[in-house]
Amino acid sequence: MGASQPFAVPLGGGLNKSTNSIELLKTPGMATKLKNFEPAIEGGYRRINGYTQFGDGTRPNSSNDIIGLHVYADGVVACAGTNIYFSLDGDSWLQINKASVAGGGDDYSTFTGRSASARTSQSTAHFATYKGNTIYGELVITDESSGTKPYLFKMTGTGALSGRTYFGELITVSGTHYPKFCIIHDHHLVVAGAATALNTIYYSGTDDINDFTVDSAGSIVLDDQVVGLKTFRGELFIFCRNSIYKLQNINDEDSIAVTPVTKNVGCVDGNTIQEMAGDLIFLAPDGFRTIAGTARIGDIELGTISKTIQPIVNDIVAASNTYDFSSVVIRSKSQYRMYYSTSSGLVSNSYGIIGTLRQNGFEWSETVGIIAPAVTSGFNYAGIEKFYHGDRSGYVYNHDTGDSYNPEGTETNIVAEYQSPDFDYGDLGTLKTLDHIKISITPEGTVEPFLRVRFDYGSIELTQPADVTLDTIPAPAFLGTAIFNKHKFGSGEQPLVRLSLVGSGYSNFFKIYSDDTKPPYIINGLYINYRPSGRL
Amino acid sequence: MATTYLTLTNEVLRELNEVQLTSSTFSGAIGIQAFVQEAINRSLNDIANEEPQLPFFASAASGGTDPFYGNVTVASVAGTRWYLLKTGSSGITTDYSSIDWDDFYITTISVSGESAPYVSKGLKFITLTDWRRYLRDSENADDADTQVYGEPRYVIRSPDHRKFGLSPIPDKVYNIHFYAYTIPTALSAHGDAIVLPDQYAPIITAKTRYYVHQFKDNLQQAAFALDDYKKGMKHMKSNLINPQPTVMTDDRTYF
Repeated sequence: MGASQPFAVPLGGGLNKSTNSIELLKTPGMATKLKNFEPAIEGGYRRINGYTQFGDGTRPNSSNDIIGLHVYADGVVACAGTNIYFSLDGDSWLQINKASVAGGGDDYSTFTGRSASARTSQSTAHFATYKGNTIYGELVITDESSGTKPYLFKMTGTGALSGRTYFGELITVSGTHYPKFCIIHDHHLVVAGAATALNTIYYSGTDDINDFTVDSAGSIVLDDQVVGLKTFRGELFIFCRNSIYKLQNINDEDSIAVTPVTKNVGCVDGNTIQEMAGDLIFLAPDGFRTIAGTARIGDIELGTISKTIQPIVNDIVAASNTYDFSSVVIRSKSQYRMYYSTSSGLVSNSYGIIGTLRQNGFEWSETVGIIAPAVTSGFNYAGIEKFYHGDRSGYVYNHDTGDSYNPEGTETNIVAEYQSPDFDYGDLGTLKTLDHIKISITPEGTVEPFLRVRFDYGSIELTQPADVTLDTIPAPAFLGTAIFNKHKFGSGEQPLVRLSLVGSGYSNFFKIYSDDTKPPYIINGLYINYRPSGRL
Repeated sequence: MATTYLTLTNEVLRELNEVQLTSSTFSGAIGIQAFVQEAINRSLNDIANEEPQLPFFASAASGGTDPFYGNVTVASVAGTRWYLLKTGSSGITTDYSSIDWDDFYITTISVSGESAPYVSKGLKFITLTDWRRYLRDSENADDADTQVYGEPRYVIRSPDHRKFGLSPIPDKVYNIHFYAYTIPTALSAHGDAIVLPDQYAPIITAKTRYYVHQFKDNLQQAAFALDDYKKGMKHMKSNLINPQPTVMTDDRTYF
């Protein structure tokens, strides 16, 4: 065999499902499989966090699906069944959809004694918080069943719930129109999508979000059905099924206008719209897109950002009428997450898409095993960013935390896999015998992933090597967090784990996978030493 | 315990940094692993072809009929000239690979009905050419006429290499002892052991590497492996074929 040759691959670029295997030879840092990994903002691929039960696992409304979550005040609001609930800690839930609440507010006992203001046929809920001049602001809740009026909830006071004051009422928009979507935009509550007025948006009076009859209120009829609303940089973007509009100058009666952003691209589902990193991201029929506002007012750029996962997106869009979508932004990770599952889907076949914004744009990966018909993130009253998701069994979870999944309180393994493209080491025609590999890995504790090597695109004509356990990764010790007899003093923050390899082929790929409840780890890069061993 | 087929295969695979086999994956080997398996058998044949009379290729242990040290014994029949070298062999593919034609021995010892004085002597090998020229005609005439026959003095090899002949045609039963070497049996199962002592196993692996490197179009490494093989063969032959003293002594007496 010839002299050994080095080949170093920094991992980055995310999942790539739309490039053929030969083209992928040029981008060895990308991944052909990236499940339950996330592109890390510092580079490499990180196994995702798990999720834990919120509080002691008490469910808001028995086994009814969680169909809406929203960070409000110092807790979280959850919609389940025909009710709306609030909880500080997940140990108990306060029903907050009440009828006949006093205009001046109810104390706790009065409020809890009120009859329910049933959310008939409630389905996926939407929330809008009007900050106003109250401590926590006012919360408007609509839902996609379009069966009831928007509900306005407000809470004041601090400390135990029993010492707080509660406000609640239904908002009459227009006759029997019950909008599905709501948003607070420039001092107005804007609602749209009522089943009886699919293409009409209504806006409330200025700083008068429960009054749609005053002079500053109004409505506008579009020529397409509204599927979502989002306010962004002083303009209200109206996402329709086949077009996108923006509402400008809502406070100027003379110049208020709805102008089309595009009449060629719509939004598949309003629950996929998120504002992130100075952009709006949403799922269009041809992939994830952003609406990027540029420095010049009115200059709009539409761009598809998910070309690398186009086959996945195509499958999602093709079956979009069977999926319930939810999405969330994890700001600290510059990350957009979209979950999709069918109403009867199992946890094991519930999927999600993760998009991480890095220097060169979005990098994508997939999640498996998180069923999240409702997911939310937001800063609570204390200014702490909280993440929650709810499932179809009525449970609410702390999202993106812990080392394992905990569906219904049962700790479950996170099955994660990263698979590289085939590496040809510069020449697909030369047979290479692998010598060893050094994996740059950043463990966040004691981890034991596995390494699999497959030659020639996993050819069954070859004897493929057995998988190897990476059980010698020294967990680095950090001052203040290191634990005696667990972390290793003096080990590198990003240790290089060396493994001898066997086998030969014209190309090969590496797969690093884990199926456990161990802490996350980041795979930063691979260094492979190989020997050219002739041409067959 | 002699080196097994699996051990030998894995030795080569380890040297090549290829995926090793296990007893359970051995029979289903594919790709380079299967090629190594085949190359090992080729190497064994190469060794046998280069030196078929290596002791471990002997068809049986010598001295089976003490004090005669041949490992094959064939009884002659009065009036029959030709005898299969390997009784029961169906063809040349199953015959012995090599015969020590310089070591045929004929005797009446242990032959039923025979008593002293016995016939007991070596048979001289003569070529077919000599036999045809000087002996065949008269022996054939005797066979067709008086059938006196005689006590064989020569051994000849049939043109198809499957039989030996006795000249003269034997007049009675004799036991002919000779030394034969078998074709090496191809290794098949993972537990099959090689016939070579372990110390010579690297000769097989060297020749196997030679084939594998050729297979991989790696001529330089193939040349190195071939050199290893040649050195190994040289030493093995030196050890096993010619261990006798080669020093000549002068026993003349000076007055």
